[in-house]
Amino acid sequence: MSTKKAKDMKGTMRRIWQYMAKEKGLFFLVMVMILISSALALIGPYLLGVAVDGVISGWGGEQLFPMLAWLVLIFTLQSGAIFFQNYWMIGIAQNVVFFMRNHLFSHLQRLPVAFFQKRQHGELMSRLTNDMENVSRTLNAAVIQVITSTLTLIGTIIVMLFLSPLLTFLTLLIVPVLFAGMKWITNRTGAYFKEQQRELGDMNGYIEETISGQKIIKMYSQESRVIEEFEEKNEALRVSSYWAQTYSGFIPKLMNMLNNVSFTIIVGVGGILALKGAVSIGVIVTFTTYSRQFTRPLNDLANQFNMILSAIAGAERVFQIMDEEKEAVDETEAVDISSLDGDIVFEHVSFSYEEDVATLKNVSFHAAPGQTVALVGPTGAGKTTVISLLSRFYDSDEGTIFVDGEDIKNITRRSLRKQTAFVLQDSVLFRTSVRENIRYGNLIATDEEVVEAAKKANAHDFIIKLPDGYDTVLSSEGSDLSHGQRQLLSIARALLADPSLLILDEATSSIDTITEMKITDALTKLMEGRTSFVIAHRLNTIQNADLIIVLKDGQVIEQGTDRSLLEKNGFYADLVRSQRQKGIS
Amino acid sequence: MEKPSKNQKGIEKIEFLVKFMIIYEIILGCEITERGEQHGGKMMKRLLKFAKPYKLAMWIAVFFTILELAVELYQPVIMSIIIDEGIVKGNLSVVYTWGGILLGLSFIAFAGGIINSFYAARAGQGMGADIRSSLFHKIQEFAIYQFQKYPTSSLITRLTNDITQIQNFIFMILRIALRSPLFIIFGIVMAYTIHVRLAHILLISVPVLLLITIWILKKGVFLFQQVQRKLDGVNRVIRENLLGMRLVKAYAREPFEEERFVKVNTTLMDDNKKALRLMELSMPILMLGMNVAIIIILWFGHVELSLGGAQPGEVVAVLNYASRIMFAFTIFSFFMMNFSRAKASSERISEVLDEQMAELPQKETTERTFKGSIDFSHVFFRYLEDEVLEDIHFSIKAGETIGILGETGSGKSTLFQLIPRLYEISEGEIFIDGENIASMDLKNLRSQIGLVPQEAHLFSGTIKENLRWGKDDASLEEIMEAAKQAEIHDFIMKLPDGYDTHIGQRGVNFSGGQKQRLSIARALVRKPSILLLDDSTSALDARTEANILETLKEQACTILLIAQKISSVKEADRILLLHNGKIVAFGNHAKLLKESSYYQRIYASQAEGREAGNIVY
Repeated sequence: MSTKKAKDMKGTMRRIWQYMAKEKGLFFLVMVMILISSALALIGPYLLGVAVDGVISGWGGEQLFPMLAWLVLIFTLQSGAIFFQNYWMIGIAQNVVFFMRNHLFSHLQRLPVAFFQKRQHGELMSRLTNDMENVSRTLNAAVIQVITSTLTLIGTIIVMLFLSPLLTFLTLLIVPVLFAGMKWITNRTGAYFKEQQRELGDMNGYIEETISGQKIIKMYSQESRVIEEFEEKNEALRVSSYWAQTYSGFIPKLMNMLNNVSFTIIVGVGGILALKGAVSIGVIVTFTTYSRQFTRPLNDLANQFNMILSAIAGAERVFQIMDEEKEAVDETEAVDISSLDGDIVFEHVSFSYEEDVATLKNVSFHAAPGQTVALVGPTGAGKTTVISLLSRFYDSDEGTIFVDGEDIKNITRRSLRKQTAFVLQDSVLFRTSVRENIRYGNLIATDEEVVEAAKKANAHDFIIKLPDGYDTVLSSEGSDLSHGQRQLLSIARALLADPSLLILDEATSSIDTITEMKITDALTKLMEGRTSFVIAHRLNTIQNADLIIVLKDGQVIEQGTDRSLLEKNGFYADLVRSQRQKGIS
Repeated sequence: MEKPSKNQKGIEKIEFLVKFMIIYEIILGCEITERGEQHGGKMMKRLLKFAKPYKLAMWIAVFFTILELAVELYQPVIMSIIIDEGIVKGNLSVVYTWGGILLGLSFIAFAGGIINSFYAARAGQGMGADIRSSLFHKIQEFAIYQFQKYPTSSLITRLTNDITQIQNFIFMILRIALRSPLFIIFGIVMAYTIHVRLAHILLISVPVLLLITIWILKKGVFLFQQVQRKLDGVNRVIRENLLGMRLVKAYAREPFEEERFVKVNTTLMDDNKKALRLMELSMPILMLGMNVAIIIILWFGHVELSLGGAQPGEVVAVLNYASRIMFAFTIFSFFMMNFSRAKASSERISEVLDEQMAELPQKETTERTFKGSIDFSHVFFRYLEDEVLEDIHFSIKAGETIGILGETGSGKSTLFQLIPRLYEISEGEIFIDGENIASMDLKNLRSQIGLVPQEAHLFSGTIKENLRWGKDDASLEEIMEAAKQAEIHDFIMKLPDGYDTHIGQRGVNFSGGQKQRLSIARALVRKPSILLLDDSTSALDARTEANILETLKEQACTILLIAQKISSVKEADRILLLHNGKIVAFGNHAKLLKESSYYQRIYASQAEGREAGNIVY
């Protein structure tokens, strides 16, 4: 158990180091500054001790003055060196954190859709913020501290040996006690830090979810229940942080005690030696300074060790995501496509999200270029899945999908998606201006083209009524727009993308029929010459489709045109009749 | 009789502690930032409020800190005794006695330190958890419009990262920081008891260094506020990407998003560097200052010695105090960083805690069931200066089914949200069963209404848990009953875990139609007197939709139904037609068809689609 943990720790540290290695140049400068400041930190007190001795033994001003001048110079240089080492180290640390965050973010972009199904958004966010914050905190201070402390420690021992080997030996007596104590403590803190970060992520997830679902919570008067659940998570976090902090609080206390013990030993034994004339009082004074210099770096190392543990707990969670497998890499023979005719063939395609629960079974159809294909069927029949496979959010388990006669697996995902425009069930908007939201469809579109697209989608009229027109900044939930308005923006976005393949998944479900009529025109124009896939429940919107595919329980049960299917008098005809009954007679 | 006086004493003690803490506040002043004017100086008082339950723990922590401190401060005295009385005079027994005392005191200090650790962590973590909890409470009390002021991402940062900063600070105060200022103060005092003239040097140099520190600190608070704000930005981009993952992939916009992220991440990095570098500046400055002070002491010590005004042991002791004060200062500079961060964060938290709650005048009413008649009396609703609804005036009888039609953005959803008072109306009155909803108990009002919003928002948890939102104590039978009515029961039973199937966040593993039906079932579990369906059947196929509406009609409740299709509302008792926030027509299908040209147009638009399909009715 513990050996495995240690291995993980080493691995995590090595990975952090890989990021730091990018800053080799700066790191070298930092090392130089640390060497200088550490050397000065040793020389300073030594000369000070000499000066104290001198003062006590009655030096004259002409002797003392140059010595003090030297000391001023040394201390100034020391402070300068400390400033620069910190300055550059912060640069390195923040760059490392910057790159780690970027990596994690772009990795998230490349994870398959399935990865996100089981994760809470807030929990993932916590890894990018709270966990990274831990790494950042530690890198800022820990690296310098560890190096400085180690150097100071070595240097101090050398000088102490030089001053008095016996007193040095006595001082070192505390080291084994120290190590035993630290091991005991860090064994505990490490585990609690890990738990703390996990609880924090869990809570972050809960907060994100409850805040974004506020309306429902209010509507159902569930505030007290939500608060109760939150309290549970809050309590769990409190407990793990409590133990993590308590145990890490032991370290400085232990150090203080050992410090005092060694102080007493030095003064006691030193007193005897001084009486015997073996050492001067000045040496004892200097030695006590050094003994503090000796325990201080140990103390710092111990404290840093705690911080390092907490950083590793954070970094591990970051790397955990980075180790998640990316969306399958494009096959080596996959090629980029720059244009698409839009000839789509599904050949015996089967797919399941979870084992044993087949979502699509043996689906076959052919859509010729420029055709409009409508997918019809009860909810959960697999309509959206067909589209997910076509855009390769998932890959089929069995069967083949051909695009322009080419196996879809031989086309790179990005180039395929570039040729496709989507209007999805849930319209996603970003917290930026209306203009930029539309421009998302085509990043190089001019303002005029954006307005043009908005006009075509019939969104222009409501946009100019917004407080700042096209420059109105939307909230990320788009809660300041109605559902229908958001769909119009999504459609404008798709219009601007000018794709070869168009996918409309319930694109007009929340738009009133008058508005829909207006945009149907635009959509019809848009669909001209492009292969389009349309999912709609209002059958009247799809009656003109060239091909209607009727899905039920993941299987194609009928396909044909509206007329042929009505003639067949099967499931589709049934659906139409049931709508007609309720419809306008 | 004894207890109150004890409490009184405890409170006095706490007040003393706080006064001490407030010293920082006073020194800092209140004009740090714009926000600072509003919230500055409040931080400590706020912390004090949260500190109350932990006063005992804090006092124990403080007591042991002082104990440790006393031992440490006494060390140089013992050392000077050992040197002057023991070694110089050749008296070994003094060395042993005082050495023994020193050792004993060290162990006591150690034990005290361990105890301190427990109590400091208890107070620090406890207070942090309490602040977090009260912040969460407050957010739960927010009115809907307040959520637009604070983006979700920012609230998340405040609840986690900002509170962590404060937690670190409290722990720091109790464990280390309290020692530094005390150490500095008592260090100077002790130096005075040893040699007055040499101690003067400390008395001059320490305040000068302190002023420099405070200047850095003030700047730091501002800079760290920037950092936290940038963190909000990073959080926001991540969240938007998680929400829009499919869209980003669909448009192959990964590089664009990465660029966007790099941008916010860069500003975060830059601000972090700026803030941290400034804070790190304090350490070398303080060290240099104290080192120079030590050299000056040495020089004047030399002068004093040559004039016979000081003993060698005295000079050594003062020097010792000076170097200890220097170490205290370096710890202090570390603490300052925490202070600035905590101050910056606490202002962000205060901002939320100080948020004015919308006044919700409530008359305490007993739980009761509504019959379900609804009257709008000249209701106006303005949002951000925009007239969303104008002069809405209508009456609905209990048990009626009302269809609501209108163009996108005509105010249909807003109208719905006024009824359970998710938004408060600007003018006019709304009555349910003849009683003004403004004077009703909010919880009771909402418990009688089942609102099914456009977007079916589900929470992670099982299906059962999600449906139980409608009614906390619903039995499984009741849940199944509602699910059957929403035509989702059969589907649920087909799932491997049935009603215990886990729903991913926002119901990612369900189709749009399934989510909508779950959302309808959730509203039905509570058997509402008033059911508000906000276009909540848009993703359902016609047959399912028809079945559900049929079932609903049998319920003894008033139904308001927003729809896009006339076919969905044709069967309704009456249809309310909205246009640009005004009612343009109200009546049954036949009446509207005859009287309203607007309705005729809608009707035509929907009939046209039929004809285009060559289906003759």
